Amino acid sequence: MTTGTGAKIIVYFRNLHRRGGQILSVFGALALLVIVSSFISPNFITAYNITIMSRDLGFVGIIAIAQGLLLLMGDIDISIGAIAGLASVSAAKLMVDFSVNPIMSLIISLAIGAGCGLVNGFLITMFRLNPLVLTIGTQTVYTGLNLFISKGKTITGFPAYFVNLGSGSFFKVPIPFIIMLVVFVIAMFVTKKTILGRKVYAVGNSRETSSMVGIKTQNVRMIVYSIAGSIAAAAGILMSFRMMAAQTMIGATWLLPSIAAPVIGGIALTGGTGHIGGALLGAAIMGVIGNIVILGGVNVYLQQVVNGAVVILAIIFDSLLRRSRYISL
Amino acid sequence: MISLEGKGITKTFPGVVALDKVDLNVKSGEIHCVVGENGAGKSTLVKVLMGLLEADEGTLFVDGDQIDLRKKHSFEIIGYVPQELSLFTNLTVSENLFIPFDKGRKVKTPIYSRRIWEDKTKKYIQELQINVKPNDPIHQISVVDRQLVQIARAISNPNLQVLILDEPTASLTKLEIKRIFSVIQSLKEQRKAIILITHKLDEVFEVGDTITVLRNGKKVGGGEVKDVTVEWVVQRMTGKEVSLHEIYRPRKAPGETVLEVTGLSGFNFEDISFNLRGGEIVGFAGLVGSGRTEIMQTIFGYLPAKSGKVRVNGKGLRLNDPSYSIMNGIIYLPEERKTHGILPELSVKDNISVTLLNKIATGGVVNNKKESIFTKRVIKEYNVILTSSDVKIINLSGGNQQKVLIGRTMVTEPRILLLDEPTRGVDVGTKDEIYKIMRQITEEKRIAIVLVSSELEELVKCANRVISIYKGRIFGELESSQITMERLLSLVIGIRKDDYK
Repeated sequence: MTTGTGAKIIVYFRNLHRRGGQILSVFGALALLVIVSSFISPNFITAYNITIMSRDLGFVGIIAIAQGLLLLMGDIDISIGAIAGLASVSAAKLMVDFSVNPIMSLIISLAIGAGCGLVNGFLITMFRLNPLVLTIGTQTVYTGLNLFISKGKTITGFPAYFVNLGSGSFFKVPIPFIIMLVVFVIAMFVTKKTILGRKVYAVGNSRETSSMVGIKTQNVRMIVYSIAGSIAAAAGILMSFRMMAAQTMIGATWLLPSIAAPVIGGIALTGGTGHIGGALLGAAIMGVIGNIVILGGVNVYLQQVVNGAVVILAIIFDSLLRRSRYISL
Repeated sequence: MISLEGKGITKTFPGVVALDKVDLNVKSGEIHCVVGENGAGKSTLVKVLMGLLEADEGTLFVDGDQIDLRKKHSFEIIGYVPQELSLFTNLTVSENLFIPFDKGRKVKTPIYSRRIWEDKTKKYIQELQINVKPNDPIHQISVVDRQLVQIARAISNPNLQVLILDEPTASLTKLEIKRIFSVIQSLKEQRKAIILITHKLDEVFEVGDTITVLRNGKKVGGGEVKDVTVEWVVQRMTGKEVSLHEIYRPRKAPGETVLEVTGLSGFNFEDISFNLRGGEIVGFAGLVGSGRTEIMQTIFGYLPAKSGKVRVNGKGLRLNDPSYSIMNGIIYLPEERKTHGILPELSVKDNISVTLLNKIATGGVVNNKKESIFTKRVIKEYNVILTSSDVKIINLSGGNQQKVLIGRTMVTEPRILLLDEPTRGVDVGTKDEIYKIMRQITEEKRIAIVLVSSELEELVKCANRVISIYKGRIFGELESSQITMERLLSLVIGIRKDDYK
């Protein structure tokens, strides 16, 4: 009996390591980073700083999960930040200027995000386009629509409970962080436990093989593009609540972290491998580094250099790991 | 004159001894065959000899000069033609031959003179009888010509003494193989030393002078080809007795018609009509590029059909929709295993369950227990050799990958199997297993099989009937009593004799 249980535990951990080996090493890197950071600055582990970091992580984390889903499938959406901006401006316009029911406005705006994603997915699969190139195009279109709707103006005047969603806390945990966790749990369930998730990995590995085994790859890709679009829209709307204003610039800087975080977390740009939790951990690593660079007093103008260097180091590290993993006989 | 002698070559990868004290002896004017099953260490041996990999142990004597194989090195005198075609498909023949354009030029200028290279290319085209013009882009020429261009590229090195060919005939038909071999023979007459890596034993006995047999990284036999027999080589390679003359044709009479194809036309083929009955194996013979693969992919719905009908059990099949075909019991097993068959980064388990998602899930959520049950069944029934179903499929040997693919196909309970080169790149022992599986499922489950193959011997051994395809049309059909190698050989190249229909 006891040996049986013992063997079961060992098998469990072995499987955990085999399946999540990479995710564990990313988690280790994050833990190490936190420890080092706490030595660098006494202000790092303080309630105030942790609150700030986790609130920021909320936004970057959500957007990284959206992009991470696409990367797993071997796809990418450059327009993801533009979708966030367009959705946030639409929500504000409906709510404030057109006095539409706030909840209704939210639903419509999330649908707009999903619609933008669907357009991307439809054009890519219908005309067999390169996702990178197509979404560079739609990024400009969505940003343009954003400017057209808002006329470049900031829109303010949300209901208080919405503002609270962006800047409030629940038992001292920032609400955006909680929302991110919810998005993460759902994304994790979908990728690991559902048919759709299995198909995402299959398509990411090989579109040819996937259609050979009867997966309708066009449908899967369109669905995931629209899911990613609606998640991005949620992040954008949430950001406008936090700033108590919908600005045209919301989402404009989200592209780099949305791609870099999943890559740092071990999701390959070529698709089909990695864990959606990696997107979250990658976002956390970027957040901690961004934070400690400020606390450590690095020259403001050098901070971007550090952030870029982190991304480069992460992909070099990943490439080295991958190389030793395969042996060609 | 040159002699190449490798001594005690050892190479280990983490967890695997790829080469274990292997000796190798090759002389000029000689074709030396290195044979072994997948994973026996053939390719590793080549890479070590080429200096692409550092050996753990081992020395190489080239005409008595001693070279330490533990260090990286590069030889001017050894040329290598890799297994996978490695040409720039968008560049021309002549550009491919002389890239990076810096050898053998009198004046070193950075300016590329097309005319000079084209003239040089013509010389090689003539010498190797390649059916191309210097300016043809690679993607427009046939597979066999590409292989010959690769050989030309190797011998364009004036210092070349030793030529290593890694499975040069893998995707070629008998006739094309003859062209490759005549080139190899003429190089032999020019006193070059040739190392031929292969797992097709008939090739060894056709052109080989000496042989080295590898199994699990060890040299398990060698000597003059004339002193050994096929049976001996197979026994050494596999470590077990494999019958080479077994006939795998289903022994029960075929049942009712299950598939009717009428007037099907599509990309690269026209007006294909044939019937398929339950429990029979129908072979499709034809050259690479004759349209056989396109026909199967169109029936399956992967490629669009231009016109024609496909009926399954008397019911019309919606074309252009693989998922619909699968639901109606038709499955196609692709020739390109690496790109169209496996999901390389995923585990064996995931690779099996991907065809079963609807069976193992309730309400869109996958049931892990059911998944395990199906996975274990496939691994056991089809004798897949692995340590755990969680290993990535890419780490299995080609033969084991193929067994996984056949197994995952079978659990969906198809009625009609379209197998496209199911034993390509698979070793002798596994081939035997795959043929037996085919015979068993036709006899017991009454499944109908279409077997597309370039290996005519395979068709002779397995098929109840053979349909031959020539330039996109059905050219002839042989009943089981009529199937012979000679007839198949002439049919695939478009020559019809009158003693059969």
